[in-house]
Amino acid sequence: MDSLLRFLEKYYFLILFIILEGFSIWLLAGHNYYQKASFGNLSRSIISIVDNQKQNIEQYFRLRQTNIELAIENVALRNELAQLKNKLEANKRSLTDSIGGVKFTYSSARIINNSINKQNNYITLNVGSSEGIQREMGVITKDGVVGVVASVSSNYSTVISLLNTNWKLSAKHKRSGVFGSLYWDGLNYREVILSEIPQHVNLVEGDTIVTSGYSSIFPPDIPLGTIEEFEFKGGNFYTVKVKLLSDFKRLDYVFVIKSHQAIERNLLENQEK
Amino acid sequence: MSKLLSRYAIMFAGLIALQLLVLNNINLGGYINPYIYILFIMLLPFEIPGWILLIFGFLTGLTIDAFSGTLGLHSSATLFIAFIRPTILSNISTHDSVDRKGSPSMMINDIGWFIKYTLIVVLIHHFILFYLETFTFVHFFSTLFRVILSTIITSVFILLSQLFFYNK
Repeated sequence: MDSLLRFLEKYYFLILFIILEGFSIWLLAGHNYYQKASFGNLSRSIISIVDNQKQNIEQYFRLRQTNIELAIENVALRNELAQLKNKLEANKRSLTDSIGGVKFTYSSARIINNSINKQNNYITLNVGSSEGIQREMGVITKDGVVGVVASVSSNYSTVISLLNTNWKLSAKHKRSGVFGSLYWDGLNYREVILSEIPQHVNLVEGDTIVTSGYSSIFPPDIPLGTIEEFEFKGGNFYTVKVKLLSDFKRLDYVFVIKSHQAIERNLLENQEK
Repeated sequence: MSKLLSRYAIMFAGLIALQLLVLNNINLGGYINPYIYILFIMLLPFEIPGWILLIFGFLTGLTIDAFSGTLGLHSSATLFIAFIRPTILSNISTHDSVDRKGSPSMMINDIGWFIKYTLIVVLIHHFILFYLETFTFVHFFSTLFRVILSTIITSVFILLSQLFFYNK
């Protein structure tokens, strides 16, 4: 009798374990990543107050670096402005652009939660639908692509980071213009992989990789990184290791891109199919 | 009894906060991440009924999951160490220096024994956690490398925290 009871005790322990573990695995596998992102968004709104405070403190430690970066960017922008002004003056009479309108507008946002140590990383921004953020908008910094907006609440939005093994981005080799797909292999947060570059392209270490602009999410020619090494892995394609320009560990302020012609373009492209 | 309960409640809140606010932001060498919150499961008393142990394991993992957007990942791994804990405890306690009552902590028991206990539990937890996270055996060895490095780092953190809190 005693041994029977002991057996039952162990038996219930195992049953309970299997039920709970089954539930965990169901949670893990049964949710696609958009749902996960929105759940993450919900729980993050709860601790966003803490996150905001934490970020505020951390920002102070980065002020020096941020100042230097801003100063450099200011100089670059000023130079560009001067050049453009000159051009504008010169072309004033002949300039009649009938297409008009801007294709992309940028708005600034701050990162309040970020991770780089998981396989599927997400970023939370302090802007949401009340600032006009929508799903599938691109997110960049001056050093390259950060990710794409996955889900939006009224004051926050979650972004699928470039450091997410589920996400691919269309990118091209700047010098030759050949495009391939760029993704993270989940290993080093400073490196991503560019695949599908045909064998005949003449690659050199240090070449720049930029966005292709074939998707309506990102404008073309945003710098992403430089070629670190490339190898030839069967088939007719190179696998290229790209060193990212931006350090995802130190991201702070980002730009969210609104594409004005995305709807028109998607409509047209879906018609073709 | 209520004193014991409040002690564990404070420890739970403290470890979760430490994990979410501090340790989740530490990335040694890019991807080594210490997960010290499992100390809570490790230090639950010997006499705890099995079902409470399992539910605590599950809830601890789920709390971490909810706040890091990885639903089901930490809860699977932490639940498993809660499940395997009684087996580990009965297998590595061979000599009489280990008190089979109260918390299996370092101060009550032998230091060498506690190091062994920590290493085994942390290794099992990290093994499950990292392989569930990658969900593939494609990068088997690089994941294994991460498991081993993170196990060492987490164990060091756990041992340090024990020295810090119980050296009174």
